Amino acid sequence: MSDPQDHTPQDHTTSQGAKPPPQGAKPPPQDERAPRTDEERRAFAEERESLWRITLAPTAWAMHFVVSYGATAFYCAKLAQTGLSITVLRLGLGVLSLVVLGFIAWIGWRSFRQWDVRRTGDFLNASGLAEDRHQFLGHAAFLLAIISFIGVVFSSMPFIVLSSCL
Amino acid sequence: MTDETDHSRESRAQDDLPRDETHPTASHEEPAEPRGHRADDRAPEGPYPPTEEMLEEPVDAEVQKEQVARLRKAWQTPRGWRYISAVNNTEVGVWYSLTAFGFMLIAGVMALMMRTQLAVPENDLISADRFNQLFTMHGSAMMFLFAVPMFEAISILILPGILGARDMPFPRLSAYGYWCFLIGGIFVIGSIFFDSAPNSGWFMYPPLATQAEGIGSDVWLLGLSFIEVASIAAAVELIVGALKCRPPGMRVNIMPLYAWYVMVVGGMILFAFPPLIAGDFLFEMERSLDWPFFDPERGGDPMLWQHLFWIFGHPEVYIIFLPSIAIAAMVVPTMARRPIVGYSWIVLSAVGTGFLSFGLWVHHMFTTGLPNISLGFFSAASEAVVIPTGIQIFAFVATLMVGRVKISLPMLWIAGALAVFTAGGLTGVMLALAPFDWQVHDSYFIVAHLHYTLFGGMVFPVIAGIYYFYPFLAKKMMSERLGRWSFWLTFTGFNICFLPMHLTGLLGMPRRVYTYPGDLGWDWLNMVSTVGAFILAAGILTFAWDLVRPKGRQPQVPRNPWDAGTIEWTHDVPGEAWGVRSIPHITSRYPLWDQPKLVERMDAGRYYLPDAEEGLRETLITTVIDAKPIQVQRVTGPAWITLMAAGFTGGAFILPTFSLYAPAIVSGAFAVVCILYWLWTATARVPEHEMKDVGLGLRLPTYASGPRAVGWWAMWITMLGDATAFASLIFGIFFYWTANTSFPPPGATHANGVLVALATVLLVGAWAATLGARETNRRGAVPVARGLLGVALLLTVAGGASLIISVLELEPTTHVYPAMMCALVVWISAHLIAGAVMQGYCLVGSIFGKLTPRHDADIWNVTLFWHFLTISIVVTGLMIGLFPRML
Repeated sequence: MSDPQDHTPQDHTTSQGAKPPPQGAKPPPQDERAPRTDEERRAFAEERESLWRITLAPTAWAMHFVVSYGATAFYCAKLAQTGLSITVLRLGLGVLSLVVLGFIAWIGWRSFRQWDVRRTGDFLNASGLAEDRHQFLGHAAFLLAIISFIGVVFSSMPFIVLSSCL
Repeated sequence: MTDETDHSRESRAQDDLPRDETHPTASHEEPAEPRGHRADDRAPEGPYPPTEEMLEEPVDAEVQKEQVARLRKAWQTPRGWRYISAVNNTEVGVWYSLTAFGFMLIAGVMALMMRTQLAVPENDLISADRFNQLFTMHGSAMMFLFAVPMFEAISILILPGILGARDMPFPRLSAYGYWCFLIGGIFVIGSIFFDSAPNSGWFMYPPLATQAEGIGSDVWLLGLSFIEVASIAAAVELIVGALKCRPPGMRVNIMPLYAWYVMVVGGMILFAFPPLIAGDFLFEMERSLDWPFFDPERGGDPMLWQHLFWIFGHPEVYIIFLPSIAIAAMVVPTMARRPIVGYSWIVLSAVGTGFLSFGLWVHHMFTTGLPNISLGFFSAASEAVVIPTGIQIFAFVATLMVGRVKISLPMLWIAGALAVFTAGGLTGVMLALAPFDWQVHDSYFIVAHLHYTLFGGMVFPVIAGIYYFYPFLAKKMMSERLGRWSFWLTFTGFNICFLPMHLTGLLGMPRRVYTYPGDLGWDWLNMVSTVGAFILAAGILTFAWDLVRPKGRQPQVPRNPWDAGTIEWTHDVPGEAWGVRSIPHITSRYPLWDQPKLVERMDAGRYYLPDAEEGLRETLITTVIDAKPIQVQRVTGPAWITLMAAGFTGGAFILPTFSLYAPAIVSGAFAVVCILYWLWTATARVPEHEMKDVGLGLRLPTYASGPRAVGWWAMWITMLGDATAFASLIFGIFFYWTANTSFPPPGATHANGVLVALATVLLVGAWAATLGARETNRRGAVPVARGLLGVALLLTVAGGASLIISVLELEPTTHVYPAMMCALVVWISAHLIAGAVMQGYCLVGSIFGKLTPRHDADIWNVTLFWHFLTISIVVTGLMIGLFPRML
């Protein structure tokens, strides 16, 4: 018990118990509880990434929002007089919306897999174990992806419905 | 799941660890070990997490007694007149919240004066100008002196308890923030007694506010900027506290919801307050130097202020709302006697609201003539934010439905909060629709809406929180009978006052009028509102009396009077200043419900840091995601220097109001000296031992630098806020460029391109030399490092001079274009002064042995500052030297 190895980054890939190891990194073979170092590293990289993933979907919403607002302001203040049709703006923003929605859906799918509720049946992830933390971050990111998706759909409404700068 | 199975599971996991000798360092989420640093140097040693057997082992009674004596001595609160030098979170938090509450009462009296004036038509009790001062101060004080500081005060007070920490990571910073708040608050609110308060409304729209006579606008700008700086300091402290001072084992998925909210709100403060600081900066330069940022005749644009103000102002509403609802997230599970329903959903709501709230600001500007498509974006986001906000409310209601609810006082106030806030939210959904907003804009409908959201979203939950946490803070209970009186008076008074205002507004009464004619159908509605306001005031006063009345004869409370599940309820009765006797290992969201022997073991000092052998104040630093212990942080104790620093900082902000610029500069210089003395004597000191036994066989380092140090995180977070303020100035340039046909005006004088380029090169060189100093110092080449620091200092001075000379030919009073270019140079120059002081600090530190190759936290933090500064320098170079020539 008492050696410095306890501080080795191990976590969710080595803690075992009722739940299977989470998906994402290659799952270790059934009979081998201690993964090799390279597997570990991949797992940690994934964990760091999953923290970022929580904010990724809302950030995508924010970028979409800023670009939509900025492009519209720029078009209406500078480009409208030049005779450029507003359809260009609307189409451009529409394509952007589709790209952003696709990205958010992808984030949502990856987070859903990280949450892994279909396998574990655990909606709470309420205990102090590494895999609970791992799945919780997936769950939170998944829910944020949903809200961000709705947000982007909402933000796309104005240029779908309105067709002038007035 | 019991903690026993947790432990045994984790301990089994430990046996399966790979024996990888090259990576014995702490957990994976920490940033990589700085280069040149041996991996095993200052790494934690010993077993973690603790096993059940280790925790079972009793602690010798004699040892316990000695530990208690040493701890008590280290954490002793100064007595007598020295009491005000205290920095402990429990003292500072109490002062902070009482001060904010005091400002709230004063602002409430202003509201009563206004309601009295409006009770009958054609009233002449208060003059128009006095009325303008009253509504401006009422709004400003409620927002800046009550709502936001109250969040900081309560968090400073309870967050360490909730996290089982001894104190916040930077106690003196809390104290400094408090004294700044007190000085600034008295200055701002005191102005009304001299009939010189700001009178242009709490959002200070130019040109009304820029051209207002007297010093009112300056009081607002300088006084509140001063307080915003204190707010940002508190935000930094709270974020670092929630990220790095959690007890071992408290991973992000079991951290109390309050801590999640604190992180989200702290992050929001960092992105919301800086645009206002940038706006204040421009505004004050227009007021004092006549640089025409908001003057349309010279190319300026009042709309820029509206944007900057509301980019701050709308998230601000959520900055007020979220921490208060966080209190509800603590109270509701306790009162329902079960874990919260939908923990992940509430985290989603907090984070989601945090993001979406930044896309709402233009809904305050629906009538300013922006293109309809633009309004549409903000209307859409305003509707979208309802979803996460609603989810939180539903999660609370669900918890109450499936739990066994006990209607105690805190629950009563939470119930009132949910009802009132929901009503305010519904009018919010209406107002988010631009056409509806056009009808009721600037009418009493808005007044009703905003008071419903703020009372339901802030005042009621905060009072619930005071009732709930009072036993934790004062070891006494508040009165059940007075509490019920207070609640029903407040609740009915509030609704009698504000419900009719919806109708008053729909009938067309504009806000902010000091009187009105008698035949418009508004008379009786106003009379009803005034009566309601006084009933509401009676309710708040009942609460205030209950809060402060002497309770000497009352018995002390049991330790956990509400049977709550979170660890602040392991507090000592009677109170102790040390926070927790020993810092527990946490394995559940509700440890007091799920970890049966927790309290007993904490009291026995079985857990971490049960002692203060060196007589120093210490707390545990853990990793961000999984809360593994990685360091013992020495926290600072009582000090006068923070008070002095706050006093001189106050002078630097307040004296310019009276155009006393020279004394202000002197005062600012004294403030810098005080802060340097404080940093030198109390932060990142070379420890007497590199490692320390913290209990349960674990040995932790006592010093950390770079990404492992809390100071580095604090710098990172501060600079994020600073970068946001700078980005707001850049936004200003693009705003002028799109909104204005002549930016830059034809034939304008530009900054000297050669000098701008030279300045950029020199300053990038200063950054490179600083970075080089850090690296060579770590490798042990101390003389080289000192040389590089000296070079960096010279390059900073030369680069700054070159930058300033490059814009000397511009005339900022003639047009907004030269004014904006000069504003960027002023901004960068101020930062260069700070950057040069920091380089000098490291150089002196190196010479006097504070900064060594092994103990280099200071230079890591300074380099981080310079990373951010260098980005702003390059952007400024492009904006001044290149961008205008391309247009």
